Amino acid sequence: MYLSYQALSLSVLLALPASVRAVFQDEVGHIDYHHELLGVPQRETTFFHRPRAEEKASLLYTLSDLGVLGAVNPSNGAVVWRQLLAGNVTDGGGFLRAAEDQTWLVGAYGSSVSSWDALTGRSAWSLNSNGVVKDVEVMEITERGGKDVLALHQESGATVTRRIHGTDGHVVWEHREVNKDVPLQVSTSLDKVFVVTLHGSLLSYSLKVIVLDTLTGKKLDEIPLGTKGEVQKPEDVMFVGANSAAPIVAWTDNAMTKLKVNVLGLKSKQEFALPADTVDVEIHAPHTIQSSPHFLVHSRTKSGHKADVFHIDLKSNAITKAYELPLLKGGSAFSTSSSGTNVYFTRVTDNEIIVTSSTSHGVLGRWALKSGAEKLAALHGVSEVIKKAGDSYAVRAVVVTDSDDWTQIVNGGLGWTRLEGLSGAVAATWAEFSQSEDLARTLEAEAHSNPLSAYIHRVKRHIDDLQYLPTYLQSIPNRLLSSIVSSENTESTDEVTRDSFGFNKLVILATKRGKLYGLDAGNHGKIVWSKNANETPSGKHWDVKAIHADNAKGFVTVRGSEGQFIIVKADTGKTIEAMPSSLFPPVDGAVVVDSDAGPWLLPIERDGKLADVQVAWAPKQTVVTRTSENEIQGFNYVEKDELASAIPVWSFSPSAGQHIVNIATRPQHDPIASIGRVLGDRTVKYKYLNPNTIVVATVDEKISVLYTYLLDTVSGQVLGSSSYEGVDSNKDITCAVSENWFLCTYYGQYQLQDSQAQNLKGYQVVISDLYESELANDRGPLGDAANFSSLHPVDIPTGPALPSLVSKTFILSGPITSLAVTQTRQGIAARQLLAYMPESHSIIAIPRMLLEPRRPVGRDPTPAELEEGLVKYIPAIELDPRMAVSHARDVLGVRSIIATPAILESTSLVFAYGVDVFGSRVTPSQAFDILGKGFNKVALLPTVVALFVGVLGLGPMVRKKQINMRWQAPM
Amino acid sequence: MLRSIPTVPLAVALQALSLLFSPASAATVTLSIPPSPQIPNPAALPPSTHATLTALGASFVAPLTTDNTFVFRNVTAGSYLGDIHCPTHGFAPLRVDVISATAGDDVSVRVWETFRGNDWENKGEEIRPATVGGALPVKVFGSKVYYTERSSFSVLSILKNPMILMGLVSLALFIGMPKLVANKSLTNINHLSPTVDPEMRAEFEEQSKKNPMNSLMSGPQSGSSPMGNFDVAGFLAGQGSGSKEEPEPSSGNGGKKGSKK
Repeated sequence: MYLSYQALSLSVLLALPASVRAVFQDEVGHIDYHHELLGVPQRETTFFHRPRAEEKASLLYTLSDLGVLGAVNPSNGAVVWRQLLAGNVTDGGGFLRAAEDQTWLVGAYGSSVSSWDALTGRSAWSLNSNGVVKDVEVMEITERGGKDVLALHQESGATVTRRIHGTDGHVVWEHREVNKDVPLQVSTSLDKVFVVTLHGSLLSYSLKVIVLDTLTGKKLDEIPLGTKGEVQKPEDVMFVGANSAAPIVAWTDNAMTKLKVNVLGLKSKQEFALPADTVDVEIHAPHTIQSSPHFLVHSRTKSGHKADVFHIDLKSNAITKAYELPLLKGGSAFSTSSSGTNVYFTRVTDNEIIVTSSTSHGVLGRWALKSGAEKLAALHGVSEVIKKAGDSYAVRAVVVTDSDDWTQIVNGGLGWTRLEGLSGAVAATWAEFSQSEDLARTLEAEAHSNPLSAYIHRVKRHIDDLQYLPTYLQSIPNRLLSSIVSSENTESTDEVTRDSFGFNKLVILATKRGKLYGLDAGNHGKIVWSKNANETPSGKHWDVKAIHADNAKGFVTVRGSEGQFIIVKADTGKTIEAMPSSLFPPVDGAVVVDSDAGPWLLPIERDGKLADVQVAWAPKQTVVTRTSENEIQGFNYVEKDELASAIPVWSFSPSAGQHIVNIATRPQHDPIASIGRVLGDRTVKYKYLNPNTIVVATVDEKISVLYTYLLDTVSGQVLGSSSYEGVDSNKDITCAVSENWFLCTYYGQYQLQDSQAQNLKGYQVVISDLYESELANDRGPLGDAANFSSLHPVDIPTGPALPSLVSKTFILSGPITSLAVTQTRQGIAARQLLAYMPESHSIIAIPRMLLEPRRPVGRDPTPAELEEGLVKYIPAIELDPRMAVSHARDVLGVRSIIATPAILESTSLVFAYGVDVFGSRVTPSQAFDILGKGFNKVALLPTVVALFVGVLGLGPMVRKKQINMRWQAPM
Repeated sequence: MLRSIPTVPLAVALQALSLLFSPASAATVTLSIPPSPQIPNPAALPPSTHATLTALGASFVAPLTTDNTFVFRNVTAGSYLGDIHCPTHGFAPLRVDVISATAGDDVSVRVWETFRGNDWENKGEEIRPATVGGALPVKVFGSKVYYTERSSFSVLSILKNPMILMGLVSLALFIGMPKLVANKSLTNINHLSPTVDPEMRAEFEEQSKKNPMNSLMSGPQSGSSPMGNFDVAGFLAGQGSGSKEEPEPSSGNGGKKGSKK
C-alpha cells in the first residue's frame, strides 16, 4: 500500500476533530507568557563583541551556567539567538572566546570544540575528539593573517594541544605530551604558544609551562615554575592571560597572603602581598593584543574589596604596581574594557560605578547608582567604556547580581534587567490565593451547623459584606467600560488577587541555585516575590525532591535531597519554617499523604525507607516507594503505641534483566465526569476507574524490549502488562496516566507481527484504554456494586476484576517528553496530552480524540462510529504546529509541565519550566463558557442599534403598504 | 600530523578530519537546504534549525551551518531516520542508509524520502547530490502555520454568506418583480400593437398566469397559489395574519378564476 506523504498528512489533518484549534494571533502575549532565558552568565564566558567588524554595534555574548550560548542585544536586553552548546542542559563550565574583528565565536564543552557565527548563531564548524577540553584560546596573530583557535585537551595520560583553523575548523597541528600532568590552560603571545600544566600529585603540584612553536606545534622549551607543592589544586591558579604582548600566569599560596605572577616564557616569578583576610582574588586584563600590558588584581576580603593595578614592562618583563584603588566596604564587580591601547577598568560597587584608566588612578567618570528600592549587589560583570568628545566618558556595564538577575547599568541608571534567576528551575507547583479559601471554609462551617444558626451567621456575613458595596458600585462603570473595550479585564494591577475565572494563580518555582520564586500566572508570569531559600555550598545544587502547596493553609513546602526543607507562605514568600540540610536524613523523594492532621508531604528516605510518624500524622493511604533500583513496595502505616510505623504489604519487581525506567502516577486532581462512554448505537462502555493504579515502565536493554505494567497500588496486583519490541532504551521513555487510559512514548524500530513483513522506525506513542468489560452495556464482574475492594476481589475463582484493555500505537513526527494531561475543574471538557517537543522547542497539546485506541483499523468508520467521533486509524500522527500551545515561541529546555484547573470548566492552566519559563491557558473543548476576543462588543452594539433603527424605520413603511393594499381596487 | 593547505575544499577537509578521529566505516553525511520557491533565502532560516539521524540505539544531531548544510560526522553504518527540525518550515522525513562496503574504510551514503507510518522498505524518490560527493538537498514541504485566523464579526462577511445573498435576491424579487412585471407586460403589449383590444390583453394575461414562474413572481396581487397569498413585507413586520383574513377558495384552476372576479 503506497500512500504519498502529503496525502497521509493531509488525511491526518482532516481527521483532526473540529475541537482542535490553534492559538489565535491576537491571543499571543495575552493568554500566554514566556521568559526567554539563558541561565546565569558565567564570569569567564561573558563579553561584548562586534559580530561584524564593519559595523559599530556590538552584541553581548554569554555561555551561561546551563550551557546555553546566547547573544543579547545590549540596547534592550532581548535575545538575538540561543544555542545549547552541548546539545543539552549542562551544569556550568565550558569555554567561550571571540576573535577580534572576526565573525565567529568559539565555544567548547566536554569533548567538542565548535565555532558559531556571531551574528546569526549558525554553526560554522565543530570538532569532536577524544578527551576533555580544558581550555580554548583564540590566536590573534597567525602567519596567514586570519585567526586560529588553540584547544587544550586532556586525554588519559596525555596533554594534547591543537591549533584549529579559525574559519573551516581543520586541525593545523597537534602537539601530544605524554605524561600524567593536569593540563590547565593554554595561552599565546606574538610568537609562542604556552601550555600551563600542573605537575605532580594532588595537594602538591608545581606549575610547568610548555612552550610550543606557533607554526608547527613543535616543543621549544619546558619551564618549571615555583617549587613542588606550591599549588594544591587546579583552582588555585586563577588566571592565565592570553593575547597580550606579555601573557602572565598568576596563582596564590594556600593562605591567600601572596600573589605570585609569572610572565609566561620567563623562569622567574614575582610576589605581591595581598590584603589581610583575603578570601578571593580575581585578575582582570584586556584580551586584545594591542592593549597595554596592564592588569588589575581584585581582592575580596571578608568585609570589603580593593584592587591593585600592575603594569608589565615589555623590555625587562618586570611587573610593577602602578596604583591601587581604595578598600571599600561591601562587594563589587570589576571589568575591563579596551579601545586601542587604552585599557579602562570599571568598578561597580553597591552604590556607584567608577571608571578609571589603567595608566593612572584618576577617576574618569563616577556615577551614583540609581538602583531604586532594591540594593544591587553585583557579583561580576562586563563593561564598555566610550570616550566621548572632550574628556568625558560614557560607560555601560552589564552585571550579574546576587539575585541571579542580569542587569544593565548605563552611566549609573538602570537599563534592562533579565530575570535569569528563573532559569534552571527544578520544581514548581500551583498555589491558590488564600483569601477565597476563607469563604469556602465559612460556607462549609455553615453547612455543618444547625439551620437557624447557619442562617443567622449568613445574614451577619452579608451585612458584613455590605461595607464593600460602595467600592463595588464605584467600580461598575470602570468594569463596564473595560468589558466593552476588551473582552476581559487584564489591566495589570500590582495587587495579586483571585479573579472570577480562576486564571490568577500562583506558581511557586524552585531553581537549582537555591532560589524560590512566586509567579503570578494571571499577570503574565510576573514575579510576585523571590527569596534565597537554600544556602548551598558553592558548586552544589539544590536537589529539590518534592514541592507541595497546601491551599487550605496557604503554605508551600519544598523538600531537598539532603533532608533540608523550607515552608513558606505562598502569597508572600515569608518563611514559616526552615530546616538546613544534614539535620534530617537524606531523602529520595516525598509524597503527599492524607492524615488526620491534614495532607502533608511525607519524606521517603534513601532506599525507600519510611520513618515512623506520630499517629495523628499517619498516612491513610498505601504509600508506594521505590525501594531499590528495581523494586517497588507498598507500605501501610500501623499504629504502635504513640507512633505509626510503615509495614510493607506488597512488593513488585520485574523479572531479571529489566529495569524500571519510568513510573507514571495519576494527577492529584483527576475528576471523572462520566463513568461510561456512550457509543454510536446508544450502548455504553463502562470505564475502568480505579484511582489506585500506577503504570510502571521497565526495559530490558539486551533485547530492547519495553514492558509496561499497570499496578493496583493497594494490593500490588498487576492488572495488565504489555511488551513492546525494538524499543530504544537510550532515548526517552515516558508514560502518563489519567482517567481510564495511560500512554507511553518511546523510540521504536521493529517488524510488524502481522502477515505483511513491514518494518517501522520512529518515535511512537502507545495508548491503552481501560474498560470494565469488553462488551458494551456490561459492567464486568463487579456489576452495579457501588464499592469495590482491591484486597477482596469478587472475580471467580480468586483473581481481581481485570480491566479490558484496548491499545493502539501511533508513529509521531518527532519525540515528545515531559508528558502531562490537562486538568479541568469537573473533568467534563475533553482532555489533551501536553508534551514538550525537545527538537522543535515547543509545547504541544495533542487531543485525546486523536490518540483514540478505538479508531477502526483498515476500514472506514461506520456512521455510528463517526457519530462517536472515531475516524479511521492512520498510524502516523503529524504533530501539527497548530497543536502547539507555545505556537511560534522558542521554549528551550523544558524539564516538566504542570497543569491545573481554572474555575471555568473549559480552561486548564499550563506552566512549563526548565531553562525557560512558559505559561498559557488551554481549552481542550473550545472556550465554551467564556466569550473570547472574537466576540466584538464594540461591533455588537452598533449592530443592535442598526437593527432597532431598521425596525423603527420599516414599521411605518410596511403599515402604509398594507393599508394601501386594502384600499387598492382589485384588478 | 595532518597538515592541510587552506585551499583544500571544506568538505574534503572535514572528511579527512572525520577519518582522523573516527573508527573505520564511519561516514560523513552532509544534507543541504538549497534555495527553493518555498525558501528563497535559506540563509534567513533561524539558527535553531537542526537535523537528526535516529536509529535503534543511535542518534546524531547536526546544527544548521553558515553554508546552509547539516554535517553529521562519524556516522556508523546503518539505516537511519533523518528529520529536519525547523521552526518556520516543514521538511520531508528521510531514510539515510550508511553502507559500509566491505571491511575497508569505504562507505557510501544513500538517501531516500520516506513515509511516516509506512513500511521502512517503502522508499520514495532517491535523493542524489547535486555534484558528485556534494551535499544532499532536502525537500521542503512549506511554511509552518501556527495560528488560526479568528472569524471576526463584520457586515461584509455576513453579506458574503450565500444564504444571505439568496435571501436578499429573493426578497428583491418578491418586492420588485410584481411592479416590474405589471408595467412590463403592459408596455410590451402596447409596444407590439398599439391598437390592441381588451380581449387580447386579457388573453395575454391568462397566458402569463399559466406560466408558473409568472405566478410566482406576480406575488400578492394574485391569489392563485399559497405563495401568491404570502405577504413578505407584512410577515417580516409581524403582521402576516392580516392578509389571511380573506377567505380563499383554493382548488386548482378555481383559484385563478377567483382572482379574476
